[in-house]
Formats: sequence, C-alpha cells, structure tokens
Amino acid sequence: MLPAAMSNPFREDLVSRSRAEACSVVIFGATGDLTHRKLVPALYNLAVDGELPHGVKIIGFARREKSDDVFRSGLEELNQKVSRTGHDPALWNEYKENVYYHQSEFHDIDGYKRLAERLDAIDESRGGAGNRLFYIASAPEFFDVILENLKAVGLNNSAEGCWARVIVEKPFGTDLATAQHLNSVVNNTFEEKDTYRIDHYLGKETAQNIMVLRFANSIFEPLWNRKYIEQIQITCAENLGMEGGRGGYYDKAGALRDMVQNHLLQLLSLVAMEPPTDLSADGVRDEKVKVIRSLRQLNTPELIKQNVVRAQYTAGHIDANKVPGYREEDRVDPESMTEAYVALRMHVDTWRWSGVPFYLRVGKRLPKKATEISIHFKSPPSVLFNAIPGAASGGNVLVIRIQPDEGISLRVMSKLPGTTLRMEPVKMDFHYATSFGKGSPEAYERLLLDAMAGDATLFARRDEVEEAWRYVDHIERAWHDSDHTPEMAEFVAGSWGPKEADDLLEQDGNSWRRL
Amino acid sequence: MTIPSDCSILGKEVPVSDIEIELKKLWEADDASTHASLMNFAVYSEDASALACNSSMVREITREHACRAILVGIDLDDPEVGMRSWITAHCNLANGKKAVCCEQIAFHLAGKVVGRYRNSIFAHLQSDLPLVFWWQGELTDRFDDRLYTLIARLIIDSAEWAEPRAQYRLLERALLQDGLVVQDLSWTRTYRVRLAIASLFDDHAGQAALPKIEKVNIVVHPDNLQSGLQLLAWMSTQCEWAFANDMLTSDRAPHSFSFQSKGGKFIEAQIVTDENSLAINEVTLSGDDFEAKVSLGENDNLIHLVFDIQGIHVEESTPAESIEPQDLVRDQLSRGGKNSLFKKVFPRYIELMDRS
Repeated sequence: MLPAAMSNPFREDLVSRSRAEACSVVIFGATGDLTHRKLVPALYNLAVDGELPHGVKIIGFARREKSDDVFRSGLEELNQKVSRTGHDPALWNEYKENVYYHQSEFHDIDGYKRLAERLDAIDESRGGAGNRLFYIASAPEFFDVILENLKAVGLNNSAEGCWARVIVEKPFGTDLATAQHLNSVVNNTFEEKDTYRIDHYLGKETAQNIMVLRFANSIFEPLWNRKYIEQIQITCAENLGMEGGRGGYYDKAGALRDMVQNHLLQLLSLVAMEPPTDLSADGVRDEKVKVIRSLRQLNTPELIKQNVVRAQYTAGHIDANKVPGYREEDRVDPESMTEAYVALRMHVDTWRWSGVPFYLRVGKRLPKKATEISIHFKSPPSVLFNAIPGAASGGNVLVIRIQPDEGISLRVMSKLPGTTLRMEPVKMDFHYATSFGKGSPEAYERLLLDAMAGDATLFARRDEVEEAWRYVDHIERAWHDSDHTPEMAEFVAGSWGPKEADDLLEQDGNSWRRL
Repeated sequence: MTIPSDCSILGKEVPVSDIEIELKKLWEADDASTHASLMNFAVYSEDASALACNSSMVREITREHACRAILVGIDLDDPEVGMRSWITAHCNLANGKKAVCCEQIAFHLAGKVVGRYRNSIFAHLQSDLPLVFWWQGELTDRFDDRLYTLIARLIIDSAEWAEPRAQYRLLERALLQDGLVVQDLSWTRTYRVRLAIASLFDDHAGQAALPKIEKVNIVVHPDNLQSGLQLLAWMSTQCEWAFANDMLTSDRAPHSFSFQSKGGKFIEAQIVTDENSLAINEVTLSGDDFEAKVSLGENDNLIHLVFDIQGIHVEESTPAESIEPQDLVRDQLSRGGKNSLFKKVFPRYIELMDRS
C-alpha cells in the first residue's frame, strides 16, 4: 500500500479555504428528489467551477433496479433543468463517467458487502486506499438500518491515512427521544468528528454573512445587545402550500418541527451568539449551542399559551389564484391538528439579551416567499423632535434578507428636503445580486465541499440538535398530549397569518415587520 | 487635438468640469435602473486608440463587478495639449429582472500631460471605495509612488512587456515593501493549470510521486513565457526546491534550470516556447515510474489531466477558462484577496528571470 496521506504543497495557498479531498461519495436514497435536484447538480457545479477534487466518484445507492446508464440519464435530464452553471454536454460526459448506481435494499446486508467491494475496487484503480463520504438522503425511517449495516460491513472504518464520514439529512429525529436514539446510532457507527448533520440554511451565503456582519464591522457589535436592541424578528414565509404531494410528510411534521427546530433556531443562534474564540468548527458551535441552551423554556401549558400561536390556513387567494385551505390540501388529514403556521415569542436568558424578545414566525400560504432577520434598535430619546408635528418616530432597523433577494438593509431616519423640519425613515440597501454579479454557489455545494474538507463549522453538532429538540418538545407535548390543548388559530391563505400572532406582539407594544 | 476614432461607444461627450453634474442628470433621467458600485475601476493606456476597446471590455466586466469605471487614454505624441471626456452607463439585467447600471467616465488626454491624468482620475473617484487600477502596456515613468500609494489593487500583464525583468524592477519595492497588491494577468492565466496540477497530487498515488519528480517540462507560446516562468517559480517554491549550481549558464538550453529537492533529488526543468503552441500548452512532471501531464485541449476548451504510475492510468478533464484580458480581470476581481501566493512566489520568479 502507498504511504498515508501527506500534504500536497501544490495545494497550499491556492484557494483560501480548507482543502476538499478526493473521495467516493455514496448517496443513500439516490433515486429521490434531493439527489436529482440538489446533490448531483451541486457536485456537477463544483466540477464546472474546478472546485471538485480530482478523482471524486459518486455512487448512488437505492432500491430500484437500474443500470449505471439509466441512472446517469435521469440525472442528466434534471441537471439540464436545474444546474446553476448551465449544462455543458462535453463536461457532463466527463463527469458522468464518475457516477455509478448500486442497487440494493437498505436492509440487505449483502448489498453493503457488494458496496464495500465496489468501493475497494474504485480505490484500487486509484492506487490505494481512499476516503469515503456517505450521504444519507433516504426517508428517515431507514437511517438506523443504513447506519447499522454500514457498521456491520466495516464501511464506517477508514484505512490508515484516510477518512470515512457521514452526512445525515434532516429530519434529524422527530423529538428529543428519537434524536437521541439516532445520535446514539450515528455515534455507534461514526465518531462525532466524522458526523455532519446538514442544515442547508447554514450553507446560504447570507447566513454565513451574519457572523461577518456582526464581527467584522465595528459599528454593529457594540450595539448588539439589550442596551440598544429592542426586539429581533425572524420570519420564514412560504407562499406555497402542499403542492407536489408534500402534504404527506408535512402533515406529520408541522411547521415547528419542519422549520423552527432546525433552520430558525440555527439562524437565531447565529444572531444571538457571543463572539467565538476562533473560527474552528467547535469554536463556533460551542457559542451557538450556548444560545439554544439559554432559551427560556416554555415548559408549562400556560407559558405556551402566552408565547406560542399555531394556526392553519383557510381557503384564500395567492397571486390572484384561488388556493385551498390546509385541511383540504392533497394528502392532509381533513381533521388535521398540524400547524401550517407558528409564531413564537422567545427569550434568550443571557446577560447580552436579557429582556429582549425574539419573535419567530414561519408559515405556508403567506403572501410571498421570504426569509429574513430584522434587528429593531431602540428609538433615540425624543426630546428634540417629538414636538414637531407629523414627526415619524421609530428606531433603526437592520434587516438581513436570507432569501430570496439576499442582502442587507438599514432603516435610518432622515430629514425630508424642504424648509421645514420633517423626518421620514429611509432605507440603505445592499443587494447581493446587484453588487456581486456572479451568483453565489448553492448551499449544498458549499456544504458538500466542507464535508470533503473535514470542516464541520456549518453543520449542526449533536448537542445543538438535542437542545433544540428539548425546547421544541415542550411545545409539541402541550399541543398534542396535554389536557389543555391550546386552540388552533386560523388565517386566510394569502394573508400574513392569524390575528392571534399580531396580538402576541401587540402585548409588548410591537408589531410584525411588514415584508 | 486628434480625435479618437469611434468615440460614440464612449457615450456622451461632456466638458471635464461638468462630469459629475452630467452623471447626475444621467441617473435622474432613468428611474428604472439601479446604480451600483463596489469599487473604482481605472483602465489606463498610453495608446489613446484603446479607449473604445477598453469601453467594450469594461461593459463585460461590469456584468459581474459593479464599479465606477474611469478610462484614460493618452496620446503623448499629439502636439496639441488637451483633454476631452465622455460619460456613459453600462446596464445589465441582474437575475433577469432589474437593470443594474455602472457609470463610466472616459478621458482622452493629448500632448505632454504628465501629472494631469492623475488629477483627472482622482477627482472623480467615488469616496470610500477601493481603486483597482489596470495599467495596460509597459510601465512608464508616470507610474510612481504618488500613484501607487492610492491604488488598492494594480492589474498588469507581463505578457505585454518587452523587458519584464526591467519592468518588474519598477514594481519590486511597491510589491514587497509597500504592500501593493499586484495582479499580473500572466499569473492569472496559470490559475486553472495550477489547480489541475495540484489535483493530480491530492491522492495517495500522487503524493507518493511528489518526492520522485525528476523532470519538469512546460510548453508555452513565446508570448506567454512569463506564465511559464511563473508556473515553474510556483512549483519550485511550493516544493522547496533549491537551485542546483551544477551547470554553467552558458551550458544550459534556453530557459532550462536545475533544482535540488530537500531530499537531495536533482530536478531538471525546462520551459519550451513554441510558436504553434497555445498560451500554456502543456506541463509534464515525471520521475522514474510516473508521468503527470496537464495539457490544454485545442478545440474543446478543457484541460486534460493524465497520470500514469506503476501501471495505473488515470485520465480526467476539467474546464479551462478564457484567457482574454477582460475575462482574466473579471476572474481576478472575483477572487479578490491579497495575492499572497504570488508574493510568496515572486522572489523565485525574479531569480528565474535573472537566470533565464
């Protein structure tokens, strides 16, 4: 065997990021939508950009009978539609030679033995042992058996000087108990340092920019605390409903599990975290998990009633099209008690954030698609301008737009031109697309590259996931297991949510930011 | 004063004193467009006829890099001293939706105007935004420390220079002592080739071959000799090869060098120039039992990688990128940074030029 991995001096200083290493990527659930729409196009885009390490092989593992060629044709068909960089037939022909299909049932141990032989043969053709990246993109009920079988055939172990890593897609459990179980199965198979729990929100350019905005600009961080900030709002609005059969999954999960437990709490932790001691994966994640741990627990039905609103939409109109109510949607139980909208008032009980409410809202069939974080600064003392008739009041608002139209804006007060002193808010706006003509890489591109480089900064750690579930579980239990189940509010599809959610903020003298 | 040909592409001619007023009018006349700027981008040429061509290149560059562009063309031989200016906007659709526009000011300077061009540029810089300065052609005595201390990033192309060593002498202090970020487009031309070479040595087989390198052969077009030298400077710096003084200069073939690795192995390197070759045609690294080759496909715009070691044969391809100046500049601006790798490699590149 050839010697263990050494450093490659030609790589040094060539790109300013951790170096992704060549590996075999095995995707479980390879016939699914995620593989076709996101994962394979992401790897293709990386190849087009010259970022994919030489020698990366992709092995799709799934149950359906298929040849390599049929698998490749299916991938090509979708790549033509979705690839960010466009589809270049010459490059695809090169790329597809590294894509293979491996047919096996997830519970069939022989399938994994054959996979191990196949991976060994690929490594042998490259002159020795190789790295392996297992991507579990299957339905969640197969996570356990896949991990157990990988271990049974020894694929969780790497040869000397190589690595074996696993990426696990969401949902990472359905509550704390299942997440803990899954974590124990994962950690019985792979070490925590080799486990990458993906949350694609963290791969988004604007999510990564939160830390840069906070810690690389001296004007914001001194103000980033209870003394100057009045409230923080995080909104994730979807105008879509349950199209494309997604009602089947969604009606079991609901907005709280589907979005709040992972994406929104990740965004909240980036906004509220203390400066990390360094930019290492654990340096950043240590600070993020402290935020989740510091969330004031909503552990009684009364607290949940006071701080959480859940709702379903009724039939309405979006973009002038009539849309059904939640319970009339495809694959949704007509008597469903699953929330398609949730609004929360949260508190982070730390020195920095004491007394500052964090309002989160997420929902389907809202007027438009938008995810953003808004930081509402306290108003200045109005001793100077409050006597002026018609003077608009209000503090500064810093908005971080995550998607679409990624960017940052800052609302400031300004004097209106004229001979009298009149003030109005004006907006200073930065748009990624306008300022940087070159499109950002897709979140999955960045995250796949990071996993190949062994950089887990943008992946959730075990304790982060479990702490988030601990918080969410109290609410889920109150909704579904308590004797005093809070009511399910309603709102008309195409509106900005139920009145109860507006009331939640009104109690504090606040209101939702108009998007 | 001689009028530059084809100045319609430069937009509306305006008096130099009214440039800012006229720009303001330009924006006021169009509510539908967004005006964007992330930097001041100056393109300087002592060939006044280059203005039109540079305006076309800036149009391409602004598709990805919002800027205030300032074009300067000087005709030093014109007996009549004078200065004319034009303004225009380059508008592109962002994400197929909104027109994003970048403004451009073009200056044509005639006669002995030393010093005046500098004032023309600096008077129209947007405050607080960095100045990226693309100096086309040979550096002249108009490139001095008063100019470069205001530049955040200097773009040059050593492939355009008749005497690169002498030209780099003018830049040495600025680059090594004063911290000027210099981006030589000859170096940018090698980027994809460097990535391809690096990728060949990522895996075990490649890494095992690294200490066995005995021969390096680089084939370039004669116009791209500097890229060849910079590639070799990069390889020898990264691998910590020292010059081996085992041959007199006169005994060596042109552009051939001897190195010795830290392990004591001798490495013979040669840069071959070939009139029929593409810019950077081929790089081969070989040893007793292996050969790694990176070559540019003539018709397919791909870089082909071939690696043979101990009976294992691997072939792959990776996209090559355009080496047109505007594309190289665009690429370079996308990467940003302090160009620290070039700075690291620079002393060896100078040595190679001296020994070449």
